Amino acid sequence: MSRFERKILFAIGLSVFLALGGSIFLAQGALREVYRVGVNERFGAELVHGVEARRGQLMALRSGSEQVADAVGSAVEAELAKRRNTSKLEGVLRQLLQQYEFVQGIRVVDDAGAEVASVSREADPSGATMRTTTRERDVDAEGKKLRVAVQVAVPEVYFERLQEAGDASEVYSRLQRQSASVSDVYVWVFGIMVFLVIVVAFLIGAIVSRRVTRRVTVLAEASRQVGAGDLSVTLPTGATDEVTELTQAFNDMVRDLRDSRTRIEYLQRISAWQDFARRLAHEIKNPLTPIQLAAQEMDETYDGENEAYRKKLEHARAIIEEEVATLRRLVGEFSAFAKLPRADLSPSDLCDLVQSIHDSVPAILEDVGHGTPAPVEVRVNCATEPIRVRMDPMMLKRGVDNILRNAIQAVYETHPSGGGRVLVRAYATDVAGFIEIRDNGPGISKENWDRVFDPYYTSKAEGTGLGLAIVKKVVLEHGGEVRLDRAPEGGARFSIELPLMESR
Amino acid sequence: MVSFSAKDLADERVRQELSSGLRKRLVVTVASHLKGSNRRIAVRQFGCDVTLDLWDDDYLVRIGNQSERLKTLENVLNRCLAVEGLFAGEPKSYQPQEGKEMYFVVRAEFNPISKKQCSELIRPTSGDDPVGPITVNIVRRRICRAERAIEFRSKDLKVPE
Repeated sequence: MSRFERKILFAIGLSVFLALGGSIFLAQGALREVYRVGVNERFGAELVHGVEARRGQLMALRSGSEQVADAVGSAVEAELAKRRNTSKLEGVLRQLLQQYEFVQGIRVVDDAGAEVASVSREADPSGATMRTTTRERDVDAEGKKLRVAVQVAVPEVYFERLQEAGDASEVYSRLQRQSASVSDVYVWVFGIMVFLVIVVAFLIGAIVSRRVTRRVTVLAEASRQVGAGDLSVTLPTGATDEVTELTQAFNDMVRDLRDSRTRIEYLQRISAWQDFARRLAHEIKNPLTPIQLAAQEMDETYDGENEAYRKKLEHARAIIEEEVATLRRLVGEFSAFAKLPRADLSPSDLCDLVQSIHDSVPAILEDVGHGTPAPVEVRVNCATEPIRVRMDPMMLKRGVDNILRNAIQAVYETHPSGGGRVLVRAYATDVAGFIEIRDNGPGISKENWDRVFDPYYTSKAEGTGLGLAIVKKVVLEHGGEVRLDRAPEGGARFSIELPLMESR
Repeated sequence: MVSFSAKDLADERVRQELSSGLRKRLVVTVASHLKGSNRRIAVRQFGCDVTLDLWDDDYLVRIGNQSERLKTLENVLNRCLAVEGLFAGEPKSYQPQEGKEMYFVVRAEFNPISKKQCSELIRPTSGDDPVGPITVNIVRRRICRAERAIEFRSKDLKVPE
């Protein structure tokens, strides 16, 4: 695990722990307070009292029913003692039935089990469920033993309410006994949830930080590669975050470095070629005059009679003079290439340059056509707004003229009797100005697109191969780039890109 | 068949509670286990709802769908906690374990609240609280457990072949 990951995880852990630890502390206090208010001994005691009251009520009813049975037994005994027969007993029982509310019926049987008298209350029209039981009393009258069965009843709802009160009291009692631990359970469960949240936060933090650190590590490794000189590194950019922006900036930086290095290498190579050209020109130029003079002298001083030999001398002199002239031209071009000055940049309008190129088109056409204008249509146009760049107009015009001349020659050779077209135009994007020269000539094969800018590379029989090298040198000194590809018309397209002075 | 008495469950407080006139519950669970393992072979459970009838002064004992009246608490304890010849599980439960050593565990509980009743009594509050249902489950276990319980086991036996 990297230090960066450890720091991120520590920050996540600390912030989550502080926030949730504080909430546990507060929750614990709040729960205890809620239980202290909601579950208290006084309320529990009141519930118990309620149960006891209902039980007492039932016990009192039961006691009352026993007393009623005693009273009925005594009344029956008194009646038998008074009348000595049972003929009027039923009337007495009816009076007793009316007297005692809970008595549902009274039945008197003798010791043989035969019914002596019996009364019962009509069914309660309200239909309330009653719990009934029979209280029996033995009565002894004049040696005769009778049994008085008193049926007493109380509403079933009294018992149901006792059970309901008992259930409520029991649950409350359990809750009261467990109240401390219940709040602890809440805190424990909350604590476990908090722990899980912390674990999840850590996992997410670890995954996120690992993704970030992996990309940072890749970036660091790529930086080391760049530091070691490998400028071919390009990192993938997929996501949309700050690390991606950093990666994009890194890629841009490496691309700029790569372009700069290519530019510097090219300029160094050009410089070496310039040095070589200067020496070559010097070495070749010096013996040319003596060679030419020697040939002239040999021809002019021959006074022999051999006519054939004289003709050979004249022929040799002509060849030498022609080749010396060619060499002088080459030396001249080498010298010009060797003495090529550095571009002197100043703020200018690219359209002014294009206008000056337009002015030189007739001369070029005439030159290419060897005295008569070549039948090539040359169109030159520019944007209506100025395209402000820093440039050396003279050197850049020389370069563009060179390309234009090559284009006119190419289309003229392809379309000697007309139909050749060349377009020169200047335009700008947000960050760069462009001069584009394109034609409908034969074009240049793709494999030579890079090589055409190398010094001394030429496809023309009489070319020196310096023209496009000079163009590229000039453009690079402008901080720009020159490219070659295929024109929409089928020929070659040269694009010179120069940075704008101010982005649009 | 298993015979045992779990009347030790009825200490003084339990006896008082049973005579309070409120409905109380006695639950007996008999489970057979393989020796050296917690795995149950079979389990049998039965419960008595006991209520002292304050009107008739006798005990109403309800076992399943049947109810009966018993005069004394001792009769109630004999009926609910003393067991003679109880089948603990079906014979087919023991067939795969023939010849193996096993033992019986008896657990007698006073007044546990049934799961169903407990769920009705203690419900999680409605809402999005994620902690509530978990906590309520734990609280239910604590509050609805028996007020008193005893547990004992038999000697090791062999499952007859």
